[in-house]
Amino acid sequence: MMDIALYSLVDDMVSKAGTEGVVEYWLRVGESYAERMGKEAYVGWPAFNVAMKDGRTSLTIEGAVNVLTDLAITDKDGDVIGYVYALKTCPMAPTINRYIQKIGPIPDSDFDVADSYNNRVRDSAVSNYCITHQKFREVAANNITVAKQGLECLHLANKGRLGEVKMLEEHLVKINVDERHIKSILRSSSCVFALVVKGKTAGEDTVE
Amino acid sequence: MVNNSEYNLSKSNEIMSNPFVDVSVFLFFEDISDKQGVEGFTNYMVGQAKSLAKSVPEEEYDTWEDFAKAVDAGESVFSSFETIRQISKNGFVTKTCPFSKAIREYIKRLGTFNPVHMEATDHYNHTIQPSAAHSACMMHQTYRNEIAKRITINGKSLNYAQIGAKAHTGEIALPPDSWKKVLLEKAGISETQGFMEMRENSCLYVLYIEE
Repeated sequence: MMDIALYSLVDDMVSKAGTEGVVEYWLRVGESYAERMGKEAYVGWPAFNVAMKDGRTSLTIEGAVNVLTDLAITDKDGDVIGYVYALKTCPMAPTINRYIQKIGPIPDSDFDVADSYNNRVRDSAVSNYCITHQKFREVAANNITVAKQGLECLHLANKGRLGEVKMLEEHLVKINVDERHIKSILRSSSCVFALVVKGKTAGEDTVE
Repeated sequence: MVNNSEYNLSKSNEIMSNPFVDVSVFLFFEDISDKQGVEGFTNYMVGQAKSLAKSVPEEEYDTWEDFAKAVDAGESVFSSFETIRQISKNGFVTKTCPFSKAIREYIKRLGTFNPVHMEATDHYNHTIQPSAAHSACMMHQTYRNEIAKRITINGKSLNYAQIGAKAHTGEIALPPDSWKKVLLEKAGISETQGFMEMRENSCLYVLYIEE
């Protein structure tokens, strides 16, 4: 029931704090959620990817993740600096379905808050919950080290309930992954992101 | 990691929430209290429960028995989010608190509950009514109270009053003795029966229409 309350809470908050206020609240929630999960360290990418598959990392509390080991991101020397991951089911999907089933249509405030974020911060939210979820991932990734190197999360793409897709070109360019490839991954997942070693950049060979 | 078989579908094909979302809503309220204090926390908790109830479709029943049967079968909006059992004509219990999974997940993932939840609960108990065992009770009981107003039985509005609520710590919130006596009478159960019910259930309350 706590999750269902989220929609009426956001509706109430929009009337009192405006859409911009709600965006700020959600960003802080994502940050504090991730900070309270604590730090993690892995000896190398294989250990980290196994933990991701098993759902043992702070990042996988959001749900089951496909670890796309065929999409290794390499730097100009050919060294692996990260991987692409796909979240199978959006954590909000059960809530959205339950809300529609028990209460009715999703309130407009959900889209209004997402729009406010998309216009002012980054064009990557398909629902208001994406704001806190994406922030959570970014901060949680910063608290993880692989082979003593800090990680950075690059949000790549996500898909809304009605099939609408948001894709961040600037992040695709950073890891040299073709947009068509990400779209094909989105066919069977709700969210795609990359985890890379902080400060490292990919080589020039595009993954298609 | 979320176990989809546990969280997405229960045995009755009920869609279940992802605890990641549940926990973040608790954190949202904590952030509100950082900015607006315990009073802001309580006001938002109560306010959004009222808004949620207003979004729910109204219901009408011909007889009390029809209503009680619908509640028991999970077909009424009153039992949308919880499994309710009728224990006497007007006495009802909820076996498992619908927030218990979210509370367990919070403790599992983040540790001890932020004390602000208990402070807000105390604030609610002192300023609104002494019936909450946890901050989530404020939302739940307000929601029940508001949803009751949207249900009519033989043209009369349904009334709801909380008798007992049990927290995840095992503590039970009860009304003052003078209220308790009246409410138990209304529910048609003795105090001992009430305690017996609270051993097995998370919530005990009375539903009635003015005769």
